[in-house]
Amino acid sequence: MALRAEDPSQLSKSRLKSDLVAHNVALPPSKSRKEVYVELHLKHIERKTAADFSSDEEEQARHAKEEHPEVPDPGALTDDDLQAALLKRGVKVGPVVASTRALYEKKLLKLLQPDGHGQLNGADSGAGYSDSEGEERGGEGDDAESDCEEEKQTVQRSDQAPQQRRQVKVSHHLQNGYFSYPQCFLLSSRLRVPASRARKPIEWNSRNASSERSRSRCSQISAGVSRASSIDQRSGLGPGVPPASQTRQRSDSSSFSITQMVEEMETRRSLSSPNGAESELSGSKVPEHRSRSDGLDMAVVDERTRTDQSLYYTPKASAHKTKTKLHQEPVEPTFKDMFAATESTPTGIYATQRRPIKGAAGRPVRYAYPDTPSSPSTLQRREVARRLVPVHIQLVVFLVVTCLLYFIYVCVEDNSWSPFLASLDNRNQGPDSEEGLLLQADTPALSGQE
Amino acid sequence: MSSTSQKHKDFVAEPMGEKPVMALAGIGDVLGKRLEEKGFDKAYVVLGQFLVLKKDEELFRDWLKDTCGANSKQQGDCYGCLKEWCDAFL
Repeated sequence: MALRAEDPSQLSKSRLKSDLVAHNVALPPSKSRKEVYVELHLKHIERKTAADFSSDEEEQARHAKEEHPEVPDPGALTDDDLQAALLKRGVKVGPVVASTRALYEKKLLKLLQPDGHGQLNGADSGAGYSDSEGEERGGEGDDAESDCEEEKQTVQRSDQAPQQRRQVKVSHHLQNGYFSYPQCFLLSSRLRVPASRARKPIEWNSRNASSERSRSRCSQISAGVSRASSIDQRSGLGPGVPPASQTRQRSDSSSFSITQMVEEMETRRSLSSPNGAESELSGSKVPEHRSRSDGLDMAVVDERTRTDQSLYYTPKASAHKTKTKLHQEPVEPTFKDMFAATESTPTGIYATQRRPIKGAAGRPVRYAYPDTPSSPSTLQRREVARRLVPVHIQLVVFLVVTCLLYFIYVCVEDNSWSPFLASLDNRNQGPDSEEGLLLQADTPALSGQE
Repeated sequence: MSSTSQKHKDFVAEPMGEKPVMALAGIGDVLGKRLEEKGFDKAYVVLGQFLVLKKDEELFRDWLKDTCGANSKQQGDCYGCLKEWCDAFL
Protein backbone atom coordinates (compact mmCIF):
# COMPACT_ATOMS: atom_id res chain seq x y z
CA MET A 1 0.00 0.00 0.00
CA ALA A 2 2.97 2.24 0.34
CA LEU A 3 3.10 2.42 -3.39
CA ARG A 4 -0.22 4.06 -3.44
CA ALA A 5 1.03 7.16 -1.67
CA GLU A 6 2.01 8.81 -4.88
CA ASP A 7 -0.47 9.03 -7.64
CA PRO A 8 1.39 8.67 -10.92
CA SER A 9 3.34 5.77 -9.71
CA GLN A 10 0.22 4.25 -8.46
CA LEU A 11 -1.51 4.65 -11.74
CA SER A 12 1.28 3.40 -13.83
CA LYS A 13 1.75 0.55 -11.50
CA SER A 14 -1.83 -0.40 -11.89
CA ARG A 15 -1.43 -0.30 -15.55
CA LEU A 16 1.65 -2.41 -15.61
CA LYS A 17 0.07 -4.75 -13.20
CA SER A 18 -2.95 -5.10 -15.29
CA ASP A 19 -0.77 -5.72 -18.27
CA LEU A 20 0.86 -8.50 -16.45
CA VAL A 21 -2.32 -10.03 -15.34
CA ALA A 22 -3.75 -9.71 -18.75
CA HIS A 23 -0.74 -11.57 -19.97
CA ASN A 24 -1.11 -14.07 -17.30
CA VAL A 25 -4.26 -15.15 -18.89
CA ALA A 26 -2.53 -15.71 -22.12
CA LEU A 27 1.05 -16.57 -21.40
CA PRO A 28 1.88 -16.79 -17.78
CA PRO A 29 4.41 -14.14 -16.81
CA SER A 30 5.35 -11.23 -18.95
CA LYS A 31 7.48 -8.19 -19.13
CA SER A 32 6.27 -4.69 -18.86
CA ARG A 33 5.66 -2.33 -21.69
CA LYS A 34 7.26 1.02 -22.31
CA GLU A 35 6.18 2.40 -18.99
CA VAL A 36 9.52 2.97 -17.43
CA TYR A 37 8.80 5.92 -15.28
CA VAL A 38 8.30 3.97 -12.14
CA GLU A 39 11.15 1.66 -11.40
CA LEU A 40 9.41 0.05 -8.55
CA HIS A 41 6.78 -1.22 -10.83
CA LEU A 42 9.21 -2.26 -13.42
CA LYS A 43 11.04 -4.24 -10.85
CA HIS A 44 7.79 -5.63 -9.82
CA ILE A 45 7.01 -6.73 -13.26
CA GLU A 46 10.40 -8.15 -13.82
CA ARG A 47 10.02 -10.16 -10.74
CA LYS A 48 6.88 -11.42 -12.19
CA THR A 49 8.58 -12.14 -15.42
CA ALA A 50 10.95 -14.32 -13.54
CA ALA A 51 7.90 -16.41 -12.89
CA ASP A 52 7.83 -16.25 -9.12
CA PHE A 53 4.27 -15.69 -8.14
CA SER A 54 4.47 -14.91 -4.52
CA SER A 55 1.29 -14.43 -2.65
CA ASP A 56 2.01 -10.81 -1.77
CA GLU A 57 2.69 -10.18 -5.40
CA GLU A 58 -0.71 -11.33 -6.26
CA GLU A 59 -2.11 -9.28 -3.49
CA GLN A 60 -0.48 -6.16 -4.78
CA ALA A 61 -1.74 -6.91 -8.19
CA ARG A 62 -5.17 -7.10 -6.82
CA HIS A 63 -4.78 -3.77 -5.14
CA ALA A 64 -3.69 -2.25 -8.32
CA LYS A 65 -6.46 -3.70 -10.28
CA GLU A 66 -9.11 -2.27 -8.06
CA GLU A 67 -7.76 1.20 -8.02
CA HIS A 68 -9.37 2.80 -10.98
CA PRO A 69 -12.22 0.82 -12.09
CA GLU A 70 -14.33 3.39 -13.82
CA VAL A 71 -13.10 2.87 -17.34
CA PRO A 72 -14.15 0.21 -19.77
CA ASP A 73 -12.21 -2.90 -19.72
CA PRO A 74 -11.04 -4.87 -22.66
CA GLY A 75 -10.53 -7.70 -20.28
CA ALA A 76 -14.14 -7.82 -19.31
CA LEU A 77 -15.17 -8.32 -22.86
CA THR A 78 -15.64 -11.76 -24.16
CA ASP A 79 -13.40 -12.94 -26.94
CA ASP A 80 -16.02 -12.20 -29.52
CA ASP A 81 -16.69 -8.76 -28.13
CA LEU A 82 -13.04 -7.95 -28.11
CA GLN A 83 -12.78 -9.06 -31.68
CA ALA A 84 -15.79 -6.99 -32.64
CA ALA A 85 -14.44 -3.94 -30.87
CA LEU A 86 -11.17 -4.23 -32.71
CA LEU A 87 -12.90 -4.79 -35.99
CA LYS A 88 -14.94 -1.70 -35.37
CA ARG A 89 -11.71 0.23 -35.21
CA GLY A 90 -10.46 -1.19 -38.42
CA VAL A 91 -7.99 -3.63 -37.00
CA LYS A 92 -7.55 -6.93 -38.68
CA VAL A 93 -8.10 -9.39 -35.94
CA GLY A 94 -6.92 -12.91 -35.91
CA PRO A 95 -8.32 -15.52 -33.64
CA VAL A 96 -8.75 -14.22 -30.14
CA VAL A 97 -7.56 -17.14 -28.09
CA ALA A 98 -5.78 -17.48 -24.81
CA SER A 99 -2.35 -16.80 -26.20
CA THR A 100 -3.35 -13.84 -28.30
CA ARG A 101 -5.94 -12.23 -26.12
CA ALA A 102 -3.50 -10.16 -24.12
CA LEU A 103 -2.02 -8.68 -27.25
CA TYR A 104 -5.37 -7.77 -28.64
CA GLU A 105 -6.46 -6.24 -25.39
CA LYS A 106 -3.37 -4.15 -25.40
CA LYS A 107 -3.96 -3.13 -28.95
CA LEU A 108 -7.48 -2.11 -28.18
CA LEU A 109 -6.30 -0.05 -25.29
CA LYS A 110 -3.70 1.55 -27.46
CA LEU A 111 -6.40 2.43 -29.91
CA LEU A 112 -8.59 3.75 -27.17
CA GLN A 113 -5.92 6.12 -26.00
CA PRO A 114 -3.53 6.60 -28.87
CA ASP A 115 -1.72 9.52 -27.31
CA GLY A 116 -0.17 7.85 -24.36
CA HIS A 117 1.51 11.05 -23.28
CA GLY A 118 -0.91 12.28 -20.69
CA GLN A 119 -0.72 10.80 -17.27
CA LEU A 120 -4.41 11.23 -17.04
CA ASN A 121 -4.94 8.92 -19.91
CA GLY A 122 -2.47 6.49 -18.56
CA ALA A 123 -4.51 6.45 -15.43
CA ASP A 124 -7.62 5.78 -17.37
CA SER A 125 -6.21 2.91 -19.26
CA GLY A 126 -4.78 1.55 -16.10
CA ALA A 127 -8.21 1.62 -14.69
CA GLY A 128 -9.43 -0.20 -17.72
CA TYR A 129 -6.91 -2.88 -17.23
CA SER A 130 -7.62 -3.16 -13.59
CA ASP A 131 -11.19 -3.85 -14.33
CA SER A 132 -10.27 -6.69 -16.55
CA GLU A 133 -8.02 -8.11 -13.98
CA GLY A 134 -10.78 -7.96 -11.55
CA GLU A 135 -12.65 -10.40 -13.63
CA GLU A 136 -9.84 -12.57 -14.74
CA ARG A 137 -8.29 -12.79 -11.39
CA GLY A 138 -11.59 -13.36 -9.74
CA GLY A 139 -11.43 -17.09 -10.03
CA GLU A 140 -7.91 -17.65 -8.90
CA GLY A 141 -7.77 -15.18 -6.07
CA ASP A 142 -9.92 -17.05 -3.61
CA ASP A 143 -7.17 -17.67 -1.13
CA ALA A 144 -6.64 -13.98 -0.49
CA GLU A 145 -10.30 -13.32 -0.06
CA SER A 146 -9.87 -12.23 3.52
CA ASP A 147 -8.09 -8.98 2.86
CA CYS A 148 -10.51 -8.02 0.20
CA GLU A 149 -12.90 -6.31 2.51
CA GLU A 150 -10.58 -3.68 3.84
CA GLU A 151 -9.11 -3.37 0.40
CA LYS A 152 -12.43 -2.47 -0.97
CA GLN A 153 -12.64 0.51 1.28
CA THR A 154 -9.32 1.85 0.17
CA VAL A 155 -10.23 1.22 -3.36
CA GLN A 156 -13.32 3.26 -3.12
CA ARG A 157 -11.50 6.03 -1.46
CA SER A 158 -8.77 6.03 -4.02
CA ASP A 159 -11.36 6.06 -6.74
CA GLN A 160 -12.56 9.39 -5.65
CA ALA A 161 -9.18 11.00 -5.76
CA PRO A 162 -8.36 10.33 -9.38
CA GLN A 163 -11.84 11.30 -10.30
CA GLN A 164 -11.44 14.71 -8.85
CA ARG A 165 -8.08 15.02 -10.43
CA ARG A 166 -9.53 14.22 -13.74
CA GLN A 167 -12.18 16.81 -13.45
CA VAL A 168 -9.63 19.39 -12.60
CA LYS A 169 -7.54 18.38 -15.51
CA VAL A 170 -10.43 18.45 -17.90
CA SER A 171 -11.36 21.93 -16.95
CA HIS A 172 -7.76 22.88 -17.32
CA HIS A 173 -7.79 21.55 -20.83
CA LEU A 174 -10.93 23.43 -21.58
CA GLN A 175 -9.34 26.64 -20.57
CA ASN A 176 -6.35 26.05 -22.71
CA GLY A 177 -8.43 25.12 -25.66
CA TYR A 178 -6.47 21.97 -25.81
CA PHE A 179 -8.05 18.62 -25.63
CA SER A 180 -6.15 15.47 -25.48
CA TYR A 181 -7.89 13.24 -27.90
CA PRO A 182 -8.45 10.19 -25.74
CA GLN A 183 -11.13 12.00 -23.87
CA CYS A 184 -13.27 11.56 -26.86
CA PHE A 185 -12.62 7.90 -26.89
CA LEU A 186 -13.16 7.56 -23.25
CA LEU A 187 -16.61 8.80 -23.73
CA SER A 188 -17.57 6.10 -26.08
CA SER A 189 -15.84 3.43 -24.16
CA ARG A 190 -17.29 4.57 -20.94
CA LEU A 191 -20.70 4.55 -22.39
CA ARG A 192 -20.12 0.99 -23.37
CA VAL A 193 -19.40 -0.01 -19.83
CA PRO A 194 -22.93 -0.98 -18.89
CA ALA A 195 -23.19 -3.21 -21.90
CA SER A 196 -20.08 -5.08 -21.10
CA ARG A 197 -21.00 -5.26 -17.53
CA ALA A 198 -24.28 -6.83 -18.39
CA ARG A 199 -22.42 -9.65 -20.04
CA LYS A 200 -20.17 -10.28 -17.15
CA PRO A 201 -20.22 -13.72 -15.65
CA ILE A 202 -22.36 -14.25 -12.63
CA GLU A 203 -19.69 -15.97 -10.64
CA TRP A 204 -18.25 -12.71 -9.45
CA ASN A 205 -17.15 -12.95 -5.91
CA SER A 206 -18.20 -10.41 -3.41
CA ARG A 207 -15.06 -8.40 -3.70
CA ASN A 208 -15.40 -7.92 -7.38
CA ALA A 209 -19.03 -7.11 -7.15
CA SER A 210 -18.51 -4.41 -4.61
CA SER A 211 -15.63 -2.85 -6.43
CA GLU A 212 -17.76 -2.98 -9.49
CA ARG A 213 -20.39 -0.99 -7.74
CA SER A 214 -17.97 1.68 -6.75
CA ARG A 215 -16.69 1.68 -10.24
CA SER A 216 -20.04 2.33 -11.78
CA ARG A 217 -20.60 5.20 -9.43
CA CYS A 218 -17.41 6.82 -10.54
CA SER A 219 -18.04 6.14 -14.16
CA GLN A 220 -21.27 8.05 -14.02
CA ILE A 221 -19.48 11.12 -12.88
CA SER A 222 -16.66 10.82 -15.30
CA ALA A 223 -18.99 10.02 -18.15
CA GLY A 224 -20.71 13.31 -17.65
CA VAL A 225 -17.45 15.13 -17.65
CA SER A 226 -16.09 13.49 -20.69
CA ARG A 227 -19.32 13.85 -22.54
CA ALA A 228 -19.19 17.56 -22.09
CA SER A 229 -15.59 17.59 -23.12
CA SER A 230 -16.17 15.58 -26.23
CA ILE A 231 -19.00 17.80 -27.28
CA ASP A 232 -16.70 20.72 -26.96
CA GLN A 233 -14.17 18.97 -29.02
CA ARG A 234 -16.57 18.20 -31.77
CA SER A 235 -17.76 21.73 -31.87
CA GLY A 236 -14.36 22.69 -33.10
CA LEU A 237 -11.67 22.74 -30.52
CA GLY A 238 -9.32 21.85 -33.23
CA PRO A 239 -5.97 21.03 -31.73
CA GLY A 240 -7.33 18.06 -29.92
CA VAL A 241 -8.04 16.26 -33.10
CA PRO A 242 -4.72 15.91 -34.88
CA PRO A 243 -3.12 13.41 -32.56
CA ALA A 244 -6.09 11.20 -33.04
CA SER A 245 -5.96 11.27 -36.76
CA GLN A 246 -2.27 10.81 -36.81
CA THR A 247 -2.36 7.76 -34.70
CA ARG A 248 -5.22 6.46 -36.66
CA GLN A 249 -3.29 6.85 -39.82
CA ARG A 250 -0.32 5.31 -38.27
CA SER A 251 -2.20 2.25 -37.22
CA ASP A 252 -3.83 2.02 -40.58
CA SER A 253 -0.69 2.36 -42.55
CA SER A 254 0.75 -0.53 -40.69
CA SER A 255 -1.73 -2.72 -42.48
CA PHE A 256 -1.37 -0.91 -45.73
CA SER A 257 -1.81 -3.02 -48.79
CA ILE A 258 -0.43 -2.57 -52.23
CA THR A 259 -3.80 -2.81 -53.89
CA GLN A 260 -4.83 0.24 -52.02
CA MET A 261 -1.88 2.06 -53.37
CA VAL A 262 -2.60 1.00 -56.91
CA GLU A 263 -6.19 2.05 -56.61
CA GLU A 264 -5.11 5.30 -55.19
CA MET A 265 -2.71 5.88 -58.02
CA GLU A 266 -5.39 5.10 -60.51
CA THR A 267 -7.74 7.51 -58.93
CA ARG A 268 -5.14 10.14 -58.93
CA ARG A 269 -4.37 9.57 -62.55
CA SER A 270 -7.99 9.65 -63.59
CA LEU A 271 -8.49 12.85 -61.77
CA SER A 272 -5.32 14.14 -63.36
CA SER A 273 -4.22 16.46 -60.67
CA PRO A 274 -0.52 16.99 -61.15
CA ASN A 275 -0.36 19.35 -58.24
CA GLY A 276 2.53 18.96 -55.86
CA ALA A 277 0.57 19.44 -52.72
CA GLU A 278 -1.77 16.78 -53.87
CA SER A 279 0.94 14.24 -54.25
CA GLU A 280 2.27 15.17 -50.89
CA LEU A 281 -1.05 14.56 -49.37
CA SER A 282 -1.60 11.30 -51.10
CA GLY A 283 0.68 9.44 -48.80
CA SER A 284 -1.42 10.25 -45.84
CA LYS A 285 -4.57 9.83 -47.75
CA VAL A 286 -4.11 6.25 -48.67
CA PRO A 287 -4.50 4.87 -45.22
CA GLU A 288 -7.22 7.36 -44.67
CA HIS A 289 -9.09 6.01 -47.59
CA ARG A 290 -8.59 2.55 -46.34
CA SER A 291 -10.05 3.31 -43.00
CA ARG A 292 -12.93 4.85 -44.79
CA SER A 293 -13.56 1.94 -47.01
CA ASP A 294 -13.68 -0.71 -44.41
CA GLY A 295 -16.90 0.77 -43.26
CA LEU A 296 -16.63 -0.64 -39.81
CA ASP A 297 -15.65 2.51 -38.05
CA MET A 298 -17.79 3.77 -35.32
CA ALA A 299 -19.75 6.92 -35.70
CA VAL A 300 -17.35 8.60 -33.38
CA VAL A 301 -14.44 7.63 -35.51
CA ASP A 302 -16.16 8.85 -38.62
CA GLU A 303 -16.83 12.12 -37.00
CA ARG A 304 -13.22 12.40 -36.15
CA THR A 305 -11.95 11.59 -39.57
CA ARG A 306 -14.28 14.05 -41.10
CA THR A 307 -13.08 16.69 -38.78
CA ASP A 308 -9.47 16.13 -39.48
CA GLN A 309 -10.11 16.17 -43.18
CA SER A 310 -11.32 19.67 -42.91
CA LEU A 311 -8.37 20.45 -40.77
CA TYR A 312 -5.70 18.88 -42.82
CA TYR A 313 -6.65 18.94 -46.39
CA THR A 314 -7.05 21.78 -48.74
CA PRO A 315 -10.43 22.13 -50.43
CA LYS A 316 -9.00 20.60 -53.53
CA ALA A 317 -7.71 17.66 -51.62
CA SER A 318 -10.97 17.10 -49.91
CA ALA A 319 -12.74 17.21 -53.22
CA HIS A 320 -10.40 14.56 -54.36
CA LYS A 321 -11.15 12.72 -51.20
CA THR A 322 -14.84 12.61 -51.89
CA LYS A 323 -14.15 11.22 -55.27
CA THR A 324 -12.07 8.39 -54.00
CA LYS A 325 -15.20 6.53 -53.16
CA LEU A 326 -16.27 6.64 -56.75
CA HIS A 327 -13.01 5.44 -58.13
CA GLN A 328 -14.36 1.98 -58.72
CA GLU A 329 -16.23 3.14 -61.80
CA PRO A 330 -13.35 4.86 -63.57
CA VAL A 331 -11.39 1.66 -63.45
CA GLU A 332 -13.61 -0.21 -65.91
CA PRO A 333 -13.71 2.51 -68.55
CA THR A 334 -9.96 2.53 -68.48
CA PHE A 335 -9.97 -1.07 -69.53
CA LYS A 336 -12.53 -0.44 -72.18
CA ASP A 337 -10.44 2.36 -73.50
CA MET A 338 -7.50 0.08 -73.59
CA PHE A 339 -9.40 -2.46 -75.59
CA ALA A 340 -10.68 0.13 -77.96
CA ALA A 341 -7.14 1.31 -78.44
CA THR A 342 -5.88 -2.14 -79.23
CA GLU A 343 -8.61 -2.66 -81.76
CA SER A 344 -7.80 0.49 -83.61
CA THR A 345 -4.07 0.02 -83.66
CA PRO A 346 -2.74 -1.02 -87.06
CA THR A 347 -0.54 -3.72 -85.62
CA GLY A 348 -2.21 -6.32 -87.78
CA ILE A 349 -3.22 -8.37 -84.81
CA TYR A 350 -6.94 -8.45 -84.43
CA ALA A 351 -9.10 -10.33 -82.14
CA THR A 352 -11.63 -12.17 -84.24
CA GLN A 353 -14.92 -13.56 -83.27
CA ARG A 354 -14.73 -17.04 -81.96
CA ARG A 355 -16.46 -19.69 -83.95
CA PRO A 356 -18.20 -22.64 -82.41
CA ILE A 357 -16.29 -25.85 -82.58
CA LYS A 358 -18.07 -28.39 -84.69
CA GLY A 359 -19.65 -31.13 -82.72
CA ALA A 360 -18.30 -29.81 -79.46
CA ALA A 361 -20.35 -29.23 -76.38
CA GLY A 362 -23.44 -30.80 -77.77
CA ARG A 363 -23.69 -28.59 -80.79
CA PRO A 364 -25.12 -30.41 -83.79
CA VAL A 365 -22.61 -31.38 -86.37
CA ARG A 366 -23.32 -29.61 -89.62
CA TYR A 367 -21.51 -30.64 -92.68
CA ALA A 368 -21.91 -27.52 -94.66
CA TYR A 369 -21.11 -24.32 -93.02
CA PRO A 370 -21.99 -21.20 -94.83
CA ASP A 371 -18.89 -19.47 -93.71
CA THR A 372 -16.42 -22.17 -94.52
CA PRO A 373 -14.94 -21.82 -97.98
CA SER A 374 -15.57 -25.01 -100.01
CA SER A 375 -12.81 -26.79 -101.77
CA PRO A 376 -12.61 -26.81 -105.60
CA SER A 377 -13.61 -30.43 -105.75
CA THR A 378 -16.76 -29.71 -103.81
CA LEU A 379 -17.56 -26.85 -106.14
CA GLN A 380 -17.09 -29.14 -109.14
CA ARG A 381 -19.30 -31.73 -107.64
CA ARG A 382 -21.91 -29.17 -106.96
CA GLU A 383 -21.69 -27.92 -110.52
CA VAL A 384 -22.15 -31.40 -111.85
CA ALA A 385 -25.04 -32.02 -109.58
CA ARG A 386 -26.68 -28.86 -110.78
CA ARG A 387 -26.49 -30.03 -114.36
CA LEU A 388 -27.85 -33.50 -113.69
CA VAL A 389 -31.59 -34.15 -114.32
CA PRO A 390 -33.35 -35.02 -111.17
CA VAL A 391 -34.03 -38.68 -110.54
CA HIS A 392 -37.78 -38.49 -110.69
CA ILE A 393 -37.66 -36.85 -114.09
CA GLN A 394 -35.29 -39.54 -115.22
CA LEU A 395 -37.76 -42.18 -114.06
CA VAL A 396 -40.62 -40.52 -115.86
CA VAL A 397 -38.67 -40.31 -119.04
CA PHE A 398 -37.63 -43.91 -118.69
CA LEU A 399 -41.24 -45.01 -118.20
CA VAL A 400 -42.35 -42.98 -121.17
CA VAL A 401 -39.72 -44.53 -123.36
CA THR A 402 -40.55 -48.00 -122.13
CA CYS A 403 -44.23 -47.46 -122.80
CA LEU A 404 -43.46 -46.26 -126.28
CA LEU A 405 -41.34 -49.24 -127.04
CA TYR A 406 -43.96 -51.58 -125.70
CA PHE A 407 -46.58 -49.90 -127.79
CA ILE A 408 -44.45 -50.32 -130.83
CA TYR A 409 -43.96 -53.94 -129.99
CA VAL A 410 -47.65 -54.48 -129.63
CA CYS A 411 -48.25 -52.80 -132.88
CA VAL A 412 -45.70 -54.96 -134.51
CA GLU A 413 -47.35 -58.02 -133.08
CA ASP A 414 -50.63 -56.96 -134.54
CA ASN A 415 -50.38 -57.88 -138.22
CA SER A 416 -53.54 -56.41 -139.48
CA TRP A 417 -53.19 -52.80 -139.76
CA SER A 418 -49.64 -51.76 -139.33
CA PRO A 419 -48.17 -49.98 -142.22
CA PHE A 420 -44.99 -51.66 -141.35
CA LEU A 421 -46.51 -54.99 -142.04
CA ALA A 422 -48.06 -53.70 -145.12
CA SER A 423 -44.74 -52.67 -146.43
CA LEU A 424 -43.36 -55.91 -145.23
CA ASP A 425 -46.16 -57.63 -146.96
CA ASN A 426 -45.45 -55.71 -150.01
CA ARG A 427 -41.91 -56.74 -149.89
CA ASN A 428 -42.99 -60.27 -149.24
CA GLN A 429 -45.45 -60.00 -151.99
CA GLY A 430 -42.77 -58.75 -154.27
CA PRO A 431 -40.71 -61.88 -154.17
CA ASP A 432 -43.85 -63.80 -153.91
CA SER A 433 -45.13 -62.18 -157.06
CA GLU A 434 -41.90 -62.85 -158.73
CA GLU A 435 -42.12 -66.32 -157.60
CA GLY A 436 -45.70 -66.19 -158.40
CA LEU A 437 -44.84 -64.98 -161.79
CA LEU A 438 -42.44 -67.75 -162.01
CA LEU A 439 -45.02 -70.02 -160.63
CA GLN A 440 -47.57 -68.45 -162.82
CA ALA A 441 -45.46 -69.29 -165.58
CA ASP A 442 -45.26 -72.76 -164.30
CA THR A 443 -48.68 -73.17 -163.03
CA PRO A 444 -51.26 -70.59 -164.05
CA ALA A 445 -53.77 -72.35 -161.90
CA LEU A 446 -52.05 -71.40 -158.65
CA SER A 447 -51.88 -67.80 -159.59
CA GLY A 448 -55.39 -67.99 -160.70
CA GLN A 449 -56.35 -69.22 -157.22
CA GLU A 450 -54.58 -66.32 -155.53
CA MET B 1 17.47 -5.85 -41.48
CA SER B 2 20.07 -4.88 -43.94
CA SER B 3 21.85 -8.19 -44.04
CA THR B 4 20.75 -11.51 -42.76
CA SER B 5 22.77 -13.34 -40.24
CA GLN B 6 24.19 -16.77 -40.63
CA LYS B 7 21.67 -18.04 -38.13
CA HIS B 8 18.90 -16.60 -40.20
CA LYS B 9 20.21 -18.26 -43.32
CA ASP B 10 20.58 -21.57 -41.58
CA PHE B 11 17.09 -21.46 -40.24
CA VAL B 12 15.47 -20.40 -43.46
CA ALA B 13 17.39 -22.92 -45.51
CA GLU B 14 15.47 -25.99 -44.40
CA PRO B 15 12.32 -27.15 -42.69
CA MET B 16 12.56 -26.43 -39.01
CA GLY B 17 11.77 -29.92 -37.88
CA GLU B 18 12.45 -30.27 -34.20
CA LYS B 19 14.86 -27.41 -33.93
CA PRO B 20 15.00 -25.77 -30.53
CA VAL B 21 13.75 -22.27 -30.08
CA MET B 22 17.33 -21.07 -29.88
CA ALA B 23 17.72 -21.85 -33.56
CA LEU B 24 15.55 -18.89 -34.39
CA ALA B 25 17.42 -15.84 -35.48
CA GLY B 26 17.44 -13.22 -32.79
CA ILE B 27 16.81 -15.73 -30.05
CA GLY B 28 19.96 -16.41 -28.14
CA ASP B 29 20.62 -18.37 -25.03
CA VAL B 30 18.99 -15.94 -22.67
CA LEU B 31 15.86 -15.33 -24.63
CA GLY B 32 15.69 -18.97 -25.54
CA LYS B 33 15.78 -19.96 -21.93
CA ARG B 34 13.06 -17.52 -21.10
CA LEU B 35 10.93 -18.82 -23.89
CA GLU B 36 11.50 -22.37 -22.79
CA GLU B 37 10.36 -21.46 -19.35
CA LYS B 38 7.16 -20.24 -20.85
CA GLY B 39 6.70 -23.46 -22.70
CA PHE B 40 7.98 -22.30 -26.05
CA ASP B 41 10.68 -24.89 -26.21
CA LYS B 42 10.66 -25.59 -29.92
CA ALA B 43 10.87 -23.26 -32.84
CA TYR B 44 7.60 -24.57 -34.17
CA VAL B 45 5.78 -23.47 -31.03
CA VAL B 46 6.92 -19.94 -31.69
CA LEU B 47 5.89 -20.43 -35.28
CA GLY B 48 2.46 -21.39 -34.04
CA GLN B 49 2.18 -18.18 -32.11
CA PHE B 50 3.46 -16.31 -35.11
CA LEU B 51 0.80 -17.87 -37.25
CA VAL B 52 -2.04 -17.42 -34.84
CA LEU B 53 -1.17 -13.74 -34.82
CA LYS B 54 -1.69 -13.87 -38.55
CA LYS B 55 1.94 -13.07 -39.23
CA ASP B 56 1.29 -9.57 -38.02
CA GLU B 57 4.60 -7.96 -37.36
CA GLU B 58 3.48 -5.52 -34.74
CA LEU B 59 1.61 -8.07 -32.72
CA PHE B 60 4.34 -10.63 -32.95
CA ARG B 61 6.95 -8.14 -31.89
CA ASP B 62 4.82 -7.12 -28.95
CA TRP B 63 4.32 -10.69 -28.01
CA LEU B 64 8.00 -11.46 -28.19
CA LYS B 65 8.81 -8.48 -26.11
CA ASP B 66 6.25 -9.39 -23.51
CA THR B 67 7.20 -13.00 -23.44
CA CYS B 68 10.95 -12.90 -23.29
CA GLY B 69 11.89 -9.26 -23.26
CA ALA B 70 13.45 -9.24 -26.67
CA ASN B 71 14.77 -5.93 -27.86
CA SER B 72 13.86 -4.35 -31.13
CA LYS B 73 16.61 -5.96 -33.14
CA GLN B 74 15.94 -9.37 -31.73
CA GLN B 75 12.28 -8.97 -32.45
CA GLY B 76 13.03 -7.95 -35.99
CA ASP B 77 15.41 -10.84 -36.53
CA CYS B 78 12.99 -13.36 -35.20
CA TYR B 79 10.09 -11.96 -37.13
CA GLY B 80 12.04 -11.80 -40.37
CA CYS B 81 13.32 -15.30 -39.89
CA LEU B 82 9.88 -16.78 -39.31
CA LYS B 83 8.36 -14.73 -42.07
CA GLU B 84 10.90 -15.87 -44.56
CA TRP B 85 10.59 -19.44 -43.43
CA CYS B 86 6.85 -19.25 -43.93
CA ASP B 87 7.27 -17.76 -47.35
CA ALA B 88 9.54 -20.59 -48.29
CA PHE B 89 7.90 -23.58 -46.69
CA LEU B 90 4.32 -22.82 -45.88
